[in-house]
Amino acid sequence: MLAFATDLFIQRSFDGLAKGSIYALLALALVVVFRGSGQLNFAQGEMALVCAYFAQTLTLTGFPVALAIGSAAVLGFAMGAGAERFLIRPVEKKSPIAVVVVAVGLFLGLNNLIAVIWGVDARRMPSVFPNKAEDFVRIGGAAVRIERLGIIAVMLLLVAMLWVLFNRTRIGLAMRAVANNQPSSQLVGIRVGWVLAIGWGLAGAIGAVGARMLAPQASLSGAMMFGPFIFAAAAATVGGLDSPVGAVVAGLALGLIDAYIVGYFTWIGGDLVLPVTFGIILLVLVLKPSGLFGSTRVERV
Amino acid sequence: MLTVESLKAGYGPIEVLHGLDFTVEDGEIVVILGANGAGKTTTMRAVSGTIERRGTVRFEGVDISSTGPDAIVRAGIAQVPQGRGTFTDLSVEDNLMVGAYVRSGSVNDDLDRWYSTFPILAERRDQKAGSLSGGEQQMLAIARALMSRPRLLLCDEPSLGLAPLITQELFRVLVELNQELGTAILLVEQNANLALKIAHRGYVLETGSIVVSGDASDLANDDAVKAAYLGM
Repeated sequence: MLAFATDLFIQRSFDGLAKGSIYALLALALVVVFRGSGQLNFAQGEMALVCAYFAQTLTLTGFPVALAIGSAAVLGFAMGAGAERFLIRPVEKKSPIAVVVVAVGLFLGLNNLIAVIWGVDARRMPSVFPNKAEDFVRIGGAAVRIERLGIIAVMLLLVAMLWVLFNRTRIGLAMRAVANNQPSSQLVGIRVGWVLAIGWGLAGAIGAVGARMLAPQASLSGAMMFGPFIFAAAAATVGGLDSPVGAVVAGLALGLIDAYIVGYFTWIGGDLVLPVTFGIILLVLVLKPSGLFGSTRVERV
Repeated sequence: MLTVESLKAGYGPIEVLHGLDFTVEDGEIVVILGANGAGKTTTMRAVSGTIERRGTVRFEGVDISSTGPDAIVRAGIAQVPQGRGTFTDLSVEDNLMVGAYVRSGSVNDDLDRWYSTFPILAERRDQKAGSLSGGEQQMLAIARALMSRPRLLLCDEPSLGLAPLITQELFRVLVELNQELGTAILLVEQNANLALKIAHRGYVLETGSIVVSGDASDLANDDAVKAAYLGM
């Protein structure tokens, strides 16, 4: 008879939530861009990866951890805003496909740029949090690694900051207005172009922090973001592409599903996590095409 | 206040306005009448700078012909677009707050003022604006435009799709606004009867050109206008 081990369950839950926090951050980045300009930034993961490498380089040269993360976020902001202003906006009016092509081009370009600057060998990234063998706390009898709790806390902190930005500041109001109705935003005097660029910048900064949190466990390499980006894109879609809440909930859910499949459904096996997860996603989207929290756009004719 | 000379505008290769001349003086209500497709909405968009335009547009002596839409709002022109342009996902109050986007400092006095003018908006301040009825959304659109404290208000077919009683109420508010605050109003309307009652002057637009202009009372008695727009 197999007894249900509560401590193991708690431990796996935190593993899943930590992993899900990374997905949630990247999904948030995608959603922030999508809400503003209605585009999926395929280069979001690679932009974040450049920032993670940048943070690693700074850390190696002796920068304090917090300052290195802050600098990476600033770089992420600059890259995001710059990409919108100088790459996306010029082609956006021509055709939606052109935007996709540019984003994919940016994806490949950045990926190669990383190889040129930092080489192709995987690099180690020190964790932001204590992560030696004895660095855990006991929660309900389970040993939960401090690093896991730290990542979850960082995600919650960023979500709280975003909430304040969106709901309590003038620029946040402008961003919500632009997401909702661009022509009217123009008519109340909002510089729509600026707001879109800021949205892309913000997404770049969020992604940078996400990639920095992921790097210590995944080890820094050119392929580091491929998997997480796919999961994040899936989380953003399942959550509803225009819903920040949906991105976070779906991101965490995917992390948990991942952890439980690996932990409990051993007959499925680690290699099949991806197809099973996507089976679940497909089911959600069949039942609710606009995602769990997404708004259905009704066009009045 | 607003002087428009040989204004041409359109969409891509299609020219809709073929050189309009018109003015709005301080404190005036001016109406532009015209049938569907005459170019009324295009005129509004050309003045507010949301489409490409040629010719001269001067506001309070300043040339705004090549000024962007956000700077035109800052200059003191606010537009109530056709179809209201409601921020449907935002609350009623956020709609009003975003209307005051170009202003600095406290806007609470303005909020109070428009809530007392439109009590229904005060009642629904926390509701999503998309849940309001057509008439309520039109009130919201006007209040939102006024939050920027414009000296010239552009109103694009405020009566569209509204019940006659609600339309009358809206027009009463526009007159009040004009008299109390001295806000000049450029109004575009298909409901010529009602519009000519509140306007000082009017222009009749036909396929992108102004064909008749004059005092509102004269226009209301003009046989051609009567036949074409008043159904008499």
